[in-house]
Amino acid sequence: MNKTLLGYVPEKSLIYAVHPFVKLFFLLVVSLFPMFVSAPDWNIILMLVIVLLMWVSRVNMSTLKIYIPVAISMGTIILISYTVLGGTHPEFELVAKVWGVNIYWERIRDAIIVYFRVLPMIFTMVFFLSTSRERDIIVSMRSVRIPFVVTYITAMALRAAGMVLEDFQIVRQAEQARGFDPVGKSIAYKIRQYVMYMVPLFALSLRRSEEFTNALVARGYAFTGEATKVKRADYILTHYSYKYFDYIFIFLVSVSFIALLVLRYGYGYFSVDQSWLIDLLRNALSVRGG
Amino acid sequence: MSEVIKITDYSWKYINTKTPAVESINLTVEEGAFIGIIGPNGSGKTTLAYSMDGLIPGQYNGIKKGTVEVFGKEVEEYDRGELQKLVGVVFSDPEAQFTAMTVEDELVFGMENIGLSVPEIQERLDWVTELTDLKNLLEKPPYEISGGQKQRVALAAVLAMMPKILILDEPTSMLDPISRMRIFDVLAKLKKEKNSTIIVIEHSLENLIPLADRMVMMSDGELVLEDETQAFFQKTGFLFEKGAFPPGLIQFFYELNQRNLYNGDYPLTVAEASLKLNEMIKKGK
Repeated sequence: MNKTLLGYVPEKSLIYAVHPFVKLFFLLVVSLFPMFVSAPDWNIILMLVIVLLMWVSRVNMSTLKIYIPVAISMGTIILISYTVLGGTHPEFELVAKVWGVNIYWERIRDAIIVYFRVLPMIFTMVFFLSTSRERDIIVSMRSVRIPFVVTYITAMALRAAGMVLEDFQIVRQAEQARGFDPVGKSIAYKIRQYVMYMVPLFALSLRRSEEFTNALVARGYAFTGEATKVKRADYILTHYSYKYFDYIFIFLVSVSFIALLVLRYGYGYFSVDQSWLIDLLRNALSVRGG
Repeated sequence: MSEVIKITDYSWKYINTKTPAVESINLTVEEGAFIGIIGPNGSGKTTLAYSMDGLIPGQYNGIKKGTVEVFGKEVEEYDRGELQKLVGVVFSDPEAQFTAMTVEDELVFGMENIGLSVPEIQERLDWVTELTDLKNLLEKPPYEISGGQKQRVALAAVLAMMPKILILDEPTSMLDPISRMRIFDVLAKLKKEKNSTIIVIEHSLENLIPLADRMVMMSDGELVLEDETQAFFQKTGFLFEKGAFPPGLIQFFYELNQRNLYNGDYPLTVAEASLKLNEMIKKGK
């Protein structure tokens, strides 16, 4: 198994045959798809395609369960924001009145559209993080000639995030070893005590920064990446090369995006009026509201 | 043998401290020498090591007196990256010096920095992974391997840059005895095969003594004793006085000496001690 940013993927997964840039390209472009699609039907299909890709890539599908509470709470927040907190709109179609609050059909519809726009974006991100290692992100950035400084700062940020989490665990265990037990205490108490973690964590971060800087200087690092005024070789990139199917993927994703834009703005496809799911819901609610 | 490091009347005081971290240091290191530096915590060993790599004064604020010359040139006179080609430092906490996401990235990082070409990097990578037995770990994140492996990665990352002088600041302080031995095995190979100049700051002396040509004792920021390893440990009483504790077998022969039961050279290894004890038994002492 290879560790990825969000879990583990078997070493023999097909996803490793794909160049890291293709994965990043997929993330960046496919994440845009839902922004141009109003009909939730198509966004649900996109989600299914991404789940299928996860399955093909042998991502452990049981890890998806952890996102169910996130999806439910996010959906609830969006729905409440649009309906209960959506304000009064006499021009909208009233579906129900709950404890004096008017619930309009248009606001429910908009909430559903937004929800099914956000969800595929999250799925795309989960797919990317489940199939990529930190190195893939760096390699994909370097392969499109993003300056070394930018890629290196990204790498250091990823590394630093891991270190802070590790340090946090150490500080927390040290506090617990000295009898600190927040179980059963009020949230206010817990928040107050969390401040206690911050002081040693801050001190540790300062020390880490000093050690990290020393390590960089000791290994001849300069911010420009050219400490000795010579061109810097990128050895890691020599492990990666584009295969014919990488170009096919890039082509397919690009063509799909262009086709989406043409169909959306040229022919009016993917609009909410063409959504059978919205029609179905509208009919269901009209019956209840009627 | 030519001098590779020459420290003359050197003192360094960190800003906002009352006393110098090191004071009036005079030390010469010859090419190919293996030097062991010992001393209690806070005696100035790390400051001395950082001074030889240019981290001091480059990365720290303070007041410097005297000179620290590497290959005949003051450390401040080197361009950024040039001194690091000549002097490599391995720090005590390996994790704090990792800057990359995989062991392989970590090993090639320094080589890329000093401007090596891809074939050169590949050649050195093969050599260093063979030397430090890291071939199977190249794909792993450096923070997910064991403590001993981490320190070997840190050592390999510096070795790959092939510095003429290698400084190790308590490289085994976080390791178990077997991992310690593996680090010193690598150093022994380097000494034998590459004739590298190696300076090791270390508290655990059992592994250091058999390799060290010379030993240096630091105490309260001063270099209080410097000599060839055998002669150095003949002054065990002085070492005790300054807060250093030689390995048990040297202490044992020192005790015998104090009781007038032994008056020769103190053995530095278990094998030597065994021979000397045999001789003593035969003589009926």
